[in-house]
Amino acid sequence: MSAPSSSPLVALVGNPNTGKSTLFNALTGLRQRVGNYPGVTVARKSGTCDLGDSGKVELVDLPGLYSLAAASPDEQVVTDALSGDIQGDRQPDVVVIVADATNLLRNLFLASQVAELGLPMALVLNQSDVAKEQGLRLDTDLLSQRLGGIPVVLASAWKGEGVADVRRAIAKALEAGVRMKRVSWPVKIAEALTSVAAAVAADTGKVITAAAAQRLLFDNTNTLPERLGWAATAREQALRPARDKVRYSGYNPMAAEPLVHYAHLRAELEGVVQARGNPSGRTAAVDHLLLHRLWGPVLFLGMMLGLFASVFWLAKFPMALIQAGVDFLKVGVAPYLDSTPMLQSLVMDGIIGGVGAFLVFLPQILILFLFVGILEDSGYMARAAFIMDRLFSWCGLNGKSFVPMLSGFACAIPALLSTRTIEDPKARLATAFVVPFMSCSARFPIYALMCAAFIGPKYEAGWESVVMVGMHCVGLLFAVPTAFILTRFILKVKPQPFVLELPRYQMPKPRDVLWRMWQNAAEFVSKAGTVIFAITIIVWALSYFPRDPAVADRIRGENPGATSEMVMSKIQAAYVEQSWMGRFGKAVQPIFDPCGFDWKITVGVLASFPAREVIVSTLGVTYSIGEGAEADSEYLRTAMKEATWQEGPRKGTPIFSLATILALMVFFALCSQCGPTVATLAQETGGWKWAATSFVYMTVLAWVVAVGLYQVVFRLMT
Amino acid sequence: MKSLDIIIVAALVGVAAGWLVRRWLAAARRRKAGGCAGDCSCAPKLGGKK
Repeated sequence: MSAPSSSPLVALVGNPNTGKSTLFNALTGLRQRVGNYPGVTVARKSGTCDLGDSGKVELVDLPGLYSLAAASPDEQVVTDALSGDIQGDRQPDVVVIVADATNLLRNLFLASQVAELGLPMALVLNQSDVAKEQGLRLDTDLLSQRLGGIPVVLASAWKGEGVADVRRAIAKALEAGVRMKRVSWPVKIAEALTSVAAAVAADTGKVITAAAAQRLLFDNTNTLPERLGWAATAREQALRPARDKVRYSGYNPMAAEPLVHYAHLRAELEGVVQARGNPSGRTAAVDHLLLHRLWGPVLFLGMMLGLFASVFWLAKFPMALIQAGVDFLKVGVAPYLDSTPMLQSLVMDGIIGGVGAFLVFLPQILILFLFVGILEDSGYMARAAFIMDRLFSWCGLNGKSFVPMLSGFACAIPALLSTRTIEDPKARLATAFVVPFMSCSARFPIYALMCAAFIGPKYEAGWESVVMVGMHCVGLLFAVPTAFILTRFILKVKPQPFVLELPRYQMPKPRDVLWRMWQNAAEFVSKAGTVIFAITIIVWALSYFPRDPAVADRIRGENPGATSEMVMSKIQAAYVEQSWMGRFGKAVQPIFDPCGFDWKITVGVLASFPAREVIVSTLGVTYSIGEGAEADSEYLRTAMKEATWQEGPRKGTPIFSLATILALMVFFALCSQCGPTVATLAQETGGWKWAATSFVYMTVLAWVVAVGLYQVVFRLMT
Repeated sequence: MKSLDIIIVAALVGVAAGWLVRRWLAAARRRKAGGCAGDCSCAPKLGGKK
């Protein structure tokens, strides 16, 4: 049940990676995406939190930030939400600061800034279990007293500990309305702040809060002055003497705020935290190896190879089970549809052939996400960001680009949304432009199909994982020089330092990892049951119609001595060739001929532009119709292996040669084949210019690289 | 029987095509309203400033 719109609004605010989303989930019972690296929450999320006798409140989970000096779009969301500047939204009644109990001083800087807004507050010292492990003892009563009496509680949202205390703290903050003790500004700075507020009132007629005056004095951003309608010249005239006043008091105006806040907090924290022993000894020892300049990247590559090898090895048995299920379904359904041959073909070749060919990869997807979940939750992914930062900084990308690019390996859409964490708009644009190069999970089925059908049987099984890792690197290989050109020569992005807080290593929580795996499985199956299902029906219809009986008569006339099975097979093949899809594929095929694609692959490639995973089901349908309804679930691989060129200089040679399958995989690795990604890119870049540029660039690049690769490998192999 | 075959197949193909078109139109509308253009369950973009 949702909270009534009149119920109090409570905002969760804190530094990145302090466990806000985990606490939000624990308080609301929702399943918000969580992660132990910054940038997972990029927009406001809300839910209902039951406080028992105190009623229900609307709880809002906001993106993490270090300071109220908003620089990036996700940070702006927080400052706007706290000031009540979001259309259709209220200012929160209570702000709950979620702080990392192991790093209280730095976390309280944000709390101290929020206190300037004058809102009732509560403080949650999260990850208290880790603080305890590290030998830290926190006196919450003393801290509460020092901070002006706001409720302060210990919690470990990850373990579900202290959640009831957090509810009580929110209820208390709502009832008592206690504000956190504010910082005492040195006299000269206080005068400067007063003069800024007075100047705004004189120039714009608007009365601003003390917090707004601080933002105007201490920050260099234009967002707030523009919103106030404070003209640049008038602003300059007022801010220059105010900042000079700060300077005369012995502070750099741009550094005064943190210096004053930290001095205030150090005094307030005196005696609150007591430490025993070396808190980070074990983590530092592991990081010494995993973040080593040489061994770090080597271990990362080894881990990825091991991951894909395990995915192939572990998925073999469940994949065989699904294939057996698809066969069973085909054999079971066929006799009931004998009287309606057209419907029989639709069900067998279209629906079961297409959807079955796609669904068979479910075990591999599940196992892949299981391993990725383990790596994420253990804290290793943040280390991978650190390792990759060297590469990214070389090509001019912001270190913060890693999180969107890492997310891009699952799906480009949330990855594009997470570029909002990047402050510099040019760096954000460059990152968004190269994110679609990352090998998303939709590319996985085509790689898996090619590896299972050709690489595994022809070469040793270990080559499957080598090719898999290679395919996941192809996108990165082209993303890096693309980013280099874009950042250095076109957008001219200024290099920016990357500050990443490395989370502690921890044992992944099975419930969270399995939940994420389940979510991905549900998404995969739902895609198979909806979009893939509908598209396979359309592809089947285009590959089935028109059916001219004269074609069958001609084939029978041309093959008088052939067995009926052979004649049927030839008739089916001729029908597919003269279908709408066949005609279209043959007309367009010359464009893809230099890549080694025949008309059936061409049809698959073209049908995959809205969503690239459609290729597998499309090949399933086109090859299934050609093979007849009796083909078993191995039909796709068998039919692909047996397919030969029917004409031209390559007549009689296999279509799926090593050159063709490598070209096909590389084409799919680089081509822009995802409608929602292009649309999201347009949405995030504020227009179609960059989205269209990305689409054309990626598609042309994919074709050029596929042609080059095919021509080189084809010549080497013949 | 043959006409029944054609009717069922035509209905299935029509429903599939109609559903796809409806879905694409809904995504376009969502995008125009500032929402997510994808199939994921990410939160809609925040509204403009007051």
